[in-house]
Amino acid sequence: MTEIAAPAAGQSGRLPAIDVRGLGVRYSLRLTRKNTLRNSLAQLVRRDGGGGGHFWALRDVSFNVVHGESLAIIGPNGAGKSTLLQSMAGIIEPSEGEISIRGRLSSLLTLGAGFDQELSGRENILLAGAFLGIDHGEIQRRLEDIIAFADIGQFIDAAIKTYSSGMRARLGFSIATSVEPDILLLDEVLATGDQVFRAKSKERVLELAKGAKAIVLVTHDMHWVTEFCNRAMLIEHGHVIAEGQPEEIVRLHEARSEESRRSAGTPGG
Amino acid sequence: MLPFAAMSRPIPDPSVTRTTALRPGPVGLLGIALSDVWSRRQLIRYLVSADLKKKGRDTLFGNVWWILDPLLQMIVYVILVSVIFNRTEEDYALFIFAAILPWKWFSSAIGDAITSVSGQDRLIKQVQFPKIVLPVAAIMAGITQFAFGMIPLAGLLLLVYPDRISPTLVLIPLVAVVQLVFTLALGVLAAALNVFFRDIGNLSRHALRLWFYMSPALYGAAVIDEIAATHGYIAASIKINPFYPILNAYRSVIYYGSAPDWIALGGVLGASLAFLLVAVWFFKRVEPTFAKVL
Repeated sequence: MTEIAAPAAGQSGRLPAIDVRGLGVRYSLRLTRKNTLRNSLAQLVRRDGGGGGHFWALRDVSFNVVHGESLAIIGPNGAGKSTLLQSMAGIIEPSEGEISIRGRLSSLLTLGAGFDQELSGRENILLAGAFLGIDHGEIQRRLEDIIAFADIGQFIDAAIKTYSSGMRARLGFSIATSVEPDILLLDEVLATGDQVFRAKSKERVLELAKGAKAIVLVTHDMHWVTEFCNRAMLIEHGHVIAEGQPEEIVRLHEARSEESRRSAGTPGG
Repeated sequence: MLPFAAMSRPIPDPSVTRTTALRPGPVGLLGIALSDVWSRRQLIRYLVSADLKKKGRDTLFGNVWWILDPLLQMIVYVILVSVIFNRTEEDYALFIFAAILPWKWFSSAIGDAITSVSGQDRLIKQVQFPKIVLPVAAIMAGITQFAFGMIPLAGLLLLVYPDRISPTLVLIPLVAVVQLVFTLALGVLAAALNVFFRDIGNLSRHALRLWFYMSPALYGAAVIDEIAATHGYIAASIKINPFYPILNAYRSVIYYGSAPDWIALGGVLGASLAFLLVAVWFFKRVEPTFAKVL
């Protein structure tokens, strides 16, 4: 009997938590941002093919993340890192290719995005929970833990607009990590808050990672990459450039950005 | 479908695959929309109560404004029409109040629905959730406002026009349901369109104002007949307007104390349901692009 059960369990353990195959995300330049009727009419009148182009934010991206692994995604600004996280979180649909997610997923993209300034911290926890699809009973049960971890004190019943940005970030982090996800997507959120909270959040992330949970982290802080992650991936212009040991990838990234800085003649990009 | 929906359930290994191959057809999209709204009813409830709280919080009188607003508007129109233009109907205050109340609900619900999606751009780019809850919640919040409007209506009837009180008043919710279906359809459509064309917001203020004057709110059948004699097409457009049967129905049950024109009302309901299906289909169809466009 055990011989029959064992392979099945082993197989599900081997399946990657995140499996991305040939992912491409295309943005239509015609539809992006602050379109007005005037622009659309002008385009209709001109009928120029140039305006109706599109742009691939990601193309031919394939990788997988197994349970227990933490993958860092690094790359210059505009490389498509955030688009990749958004695709994994289901916020953006792939234009081509496939994404498979196995396990409960939670994303900590920008903390506190769903906060309503006029509502209190407590009301915002309930609202954020409802947006994340956590059921009412569960969020009620976790309410006290979330408040305690965020360390907001008596301000929990004051309107969010009175909070400092650190308090807001703490509350957001506390909500997003309270659900004990199998897969956690993090976008540049670890550097928020004061020293004490940073240490606490680091501890929480490590704890989540230890519980055989997969983590995907997007950051510009190379310290986090080498310290935390057991794999790293470099993307540039929507393409995967390299994948491997964090130290190696960080070195490659630094060499390449140094090179592009020198060839451009201006710092940054 | 939803990665987060699985969180609350004790399923050990929920999995989801997203590909370009998974594009449901129109019926599939409508089914998804229905389950979106039903499974996220708690979220809609929170959004509605948050909206009501905010609207009440800013002002000194708070939610008392929901009672004062239609009354003050009624007074303005009574002075304008019956004093300045010297055109009046019997018991004019009640005559127009029966129309102002539902119209205020409609116009503010549409105004809120239009910005409901585009105003949540940050959230939409960070969290995966069914966006259709946003316009639905905006319109549902308006119901409370309309319900509060029953207080000044009751006051007006009891204190000023006790002779007009009739059993047909209990039919108000029935007419309101027809109006709600139409409002939902238009609100969902406008919310989606405003993501792509921000002009909708600017345009809507004027469109709604014109729509109000083109509806039998401040005038009745006699005036429409007069218009028909000189401007036939305007009278015709007043009559094909869905608010022609809707406002007439409110006026029947509140002012005349008679049963509404069931056939006209049923026609609006049927057309609104069809419109709602089209609007929801359109919303679901363009929903995946919201996170990219906003």
